[in-house]
Amino acid sequence: MVKKSMQTIDKDIMNLAKIVGEKEILFKQADLLAYDCDGFTIHKHLPKAVVFPNSTKEVAEVVKYCNANQLPFLARGAGTGLSGGAIPLNGEVIISLVKMKRLLSVDLENRRAVVEPGFVNLKLTNSIADKGYYYAPDPSSQYACTIGGNVAENAGGAHCLKYGVTTNHILGLEVVMPSGEIIDISTNGVLDLPGYDLLGLLTGSEGTLGIVTKITVRILKNPEAKQTVLAYFDKVEDGSQAVSDIISSGIVPAALEMMDKIAIEGVESAAFPVGHPKDIEALLLIEVDGISVGITEQIKQILEVCKTRNVREVKVAQSEEERGRWWANRKTGFGAMGAISPDYLVQDGVIPRSRLPEVLARINKISEESGLRIANIFHAGDGNLHPLVLFDARQPGQTEKALAAGSECLRVCADVGGTITGEHGVGIEKREEMRFVFTEREIAAQTDIRDVFNPHNLLNAGKLFPSPGRCAEVKKEMKNGREAFA
Amino acid sequence: MSLRETELKGEPTCHTNSLSNYLWSDPPDEHKWADCVHCGLCLEACPTYEQTGQEQHSPRGRVHLIKSVAEGKLVVDDDFADPVFVCLDCRACTTACPADVDVGGLIEEARGQVRQAMPLKGWRGMTSKFLLEGLFPHQSRLHSLGSLLKFYQKSGVQKVVRKTGLINIMPKHLVEMEAIMPAIGTPVQKKYKEQKVIKAKGETKREVAMLTGCIMDVMFSDINQSTINVLTRNGNDVSIPKNQTCCGALHVHAGDRETGRKLAKQNIEAFNAAEKVITNAAGCGCMLKEYPELFREEPEWREKAEEFAQKVEDISKYLYDTGYEKPKVELKTRITYHDACHLAHGQGVREQPRDLLINIPGVEMVHMPNADRCCGSAGVYNITNPEMAGAVLESKMEHVPEDVEMISMGNPGCMLQMAVGVEKYGRNQKIVHTVQLLDLAYQKEDEKERGNNGEKEHAND
Repeated sequence: MVKKSMQTIDKDIMNLAKIVGEKEILFKQADLLAYDCDGFTIHKHLPKAVVFPNSTKEVAEVVKYCNANQLPFLARGAGTGLSGGAIPLNGEVIISLVKMKRLLSVDLENRRAVVEPGFVNLKLTNSIADKGYYYAPDPSSQYACTIGGNVAENAGGAHCLKYGVTTNHILGLEVVMPSGEIIDISTNGVLDLPGYDLLGLLTGSEGTLGIVTKITVRILKNPEAKQTVLAYFDKVEDGSQAVSDIISSGIVPAALEMMDKIAIEGVESAAFPVGHPKDIEALLLIEVDGISVGITEQIKQILEVCKTRNVREVKVAQSEEERGRWWANRKTGFGAMGAISPDYLVQDGVIPRSRLPEVLARINKISEESGLRIANIFHAGDGNLHPLVLFDARQPGQTEKALAAGSECLRVCADVGGTITGEHGVGIEKREEMRFVFTEREIAAQTDIRDVFNPHNLLNAGKLFPSPGRCAEVKKEMKNGREAFA
Repeated sequence: MSLRETELKGEPTCHTNSLSNYLWSDPPDEHKWADCVHCGLCLEACPTYEQTGQEQHSPRGRVHLIKSVAEGKLVVDDDFADPVFVCLDCRACTTACPADVDVGGLIEEARGQVRQAMPLKGWRGMTSKFLLEGLFPHQSRLHSLGSLLKFYQKSGVQKVVRKTGLINIMPKHLVEMEAIMPAIGTPVQKKYKEQKVIKAKGETKREVAMLTGCIMDVMFSDINQSTINVLTRNGNDVSIPKNQTCCGALHVHAGDRETGRKLAKQNIEAFNAAEKVITNAAGCGCMLKEYPELFREEPEWREKAEEFAQKVEDISKYLYDTGYEKPKVELKTRITYHDACHLAHGQGVREQPRDLLINIPGVEMVHMPNADRCCGSAGVYNITNPEMAGAVLESKMEHVPEDVEMISMGNPGCMLQMAVGVEKYGRNQKIVHTVQLLDLAYQKEDEKERGNNGEKEHAND
């Protein structure tokens, strides 16, 4: 049956099916629609096809075929990205890596593991937890997102305050270059190799320089002890000040998270409520870990700081179960917005911690002016803000308004000396905002680097850097956004 | 013209068309998909995504497609029907979803549209028609089938069929099911036909009505008997309303919402006088609780359905909530517990059955990883989609601990499917319903007491 219908399909799909197998390719419209966007839903575009290679060799062959036939292509993991990095703007052939999901090896002695790109982030920790180890980068989507995608986006997470983002945990990569050539850039654990830091360049390149097919990651020993504190504040300023005080007191918490009133309304209306009071302006979720000796002292200090800053209520998790509930509530925060708004747009700015109260006030103003509610969930410890602009795409004009409001939030971040993305990547979403932080020359220098790897720009074109829009719709939206902004 | 060229000539894909392609009554509810923000946290919870890795077979992919039809980007045809019907309707995504999106509800509504657009044809249509319209709603026919099966097992025909190779002409997945067919007993509907109320042992504390279920009462009448036993033992008068019928879950899962509504109305009326409706089949219980969903366009019935749904309770939750006598005699066994999807994800009942089980002295509960992962039974899914059901079952069986004697659960469909699993993968666990174990413990206690009394009587001699 498949065969018969495939004869009426164009030759590229026939040929790609020969490489990956007839069952490992999607080309019917209903199937392709499921791939017209990722976690960033404002832009949608159908791919030409979706292929599911099972090996590095198959990935390379697909890439070679695309090159030979001038077909644009891109890689996709679980499609949980929030900046549109996996959206096929140019009708790409999507190379889905979710079938390459094996854990290839675990080397406890040298504290590394080798995984295929489709391996799900949380599964790595789950597979080594019984031996007392874990994988540190923990983006909120870790239940579903793939490590390949994490490398592309240089994903962070609640605990990167102390442990760093994905790039700090990558020890080696096997990469299929945009030409189809397979290269291996592994450090074998040597921290400072001669020559350029290609690992650093590839990690976070948002799928524009190559397709990662094998990843060596660092794994860590579980901390001996861990304690989690939840603090409720009547004033955002007090919460922000407490964040600064905790860090300046010398403590480096494993995580230091903040949610504001609207965000709390969202998580409390959704699937994992924990009973936060609805009338507080901010809550802090603070976690410290390490050797057990110092922990109690640190917790005491944190409680002190919170009290000095007029905390309404502060408590320490009494069990692993309670701690788990607090984190589930926080980590499902973005998705929870669905419970209070039909659509949302999450922004991802970074600011100097000390400017937090000022920035929040300005975001408030943006919200008032645009008439859209903006919730704030953020990794307060490292100043990584996630303003969530709530809107209803069914209302004419709201999408554009939301885009403009999001862009303004990033402008504020850039203005106070921060930047436009902390962990979600630029993708489609923040291409234009790259101009807030880079000059034309700086952008050109970077696209020159891209051209060395990806000379025909067939791989994931139209992402990461501002460029003339290809899809008329997109261009129009961006224009409206910019106009409203100006 | 290639597929792509066709597309490019059509509307641009970013364009939103307000003209819905759902042309029939009772379409998927816009409010249900409005909650989905496409975050993807549901992906790993979905057994069919796990098997295929393809997003049209994932919860958010399906929601996206269902929405796309309403937006006019897609029509209700075979290509749309495929993702919608490959779904197990296991509801694991609803548990995983941060925004509580009712994916199961959307799927069932979409199936209703598909079935109205394209009535089933071929052998699948015949099977479905026979089972759903000709058999399940008719008690007398079910009972006749039960008797026939009983004859099949007792007469030696079963042996002959198995030995002669007649069995080889059956499709493989049906052979697997034949091998595990439980011994057929007498339906409680028949047994208690003359009794208006089965009185509580001792003082009556509460009155409940029981849904006997269609398959349950034929294939697993002993479980219904156990349910009556544990209810009466704990002070409940049990009535079995005569006019009750099949709950309609299988029909609604298959997209036949019209029959679903008919059955729902009959049950709502049959249980009109009851204050509590007890079920021992997760799938049925979940369906009864979701009756209001069927009447979105009939407000009067919707109200009745809502009132009815409030009365429905799974046996394990009912016992847990109202208090039950903890068995005193040891039942030395190592067991594990499988969460039926429509109990755990559908009704949020997880701890209560486990509590009943671990409170039986001598029962050692071994944790099964991924206990709330679907087994692939999913109503009649294992008959209609044997390949996917088999793959899902295989992955389920990998998690069943090696060293347990029994697997306990609260749904007849799962029991059949897990029994296939045990048989197929050369395991040796017994499949039991939670109330069966509790009933067994009570019986042993009674036996022991009778023995003690006997001894006492002897001593008195």
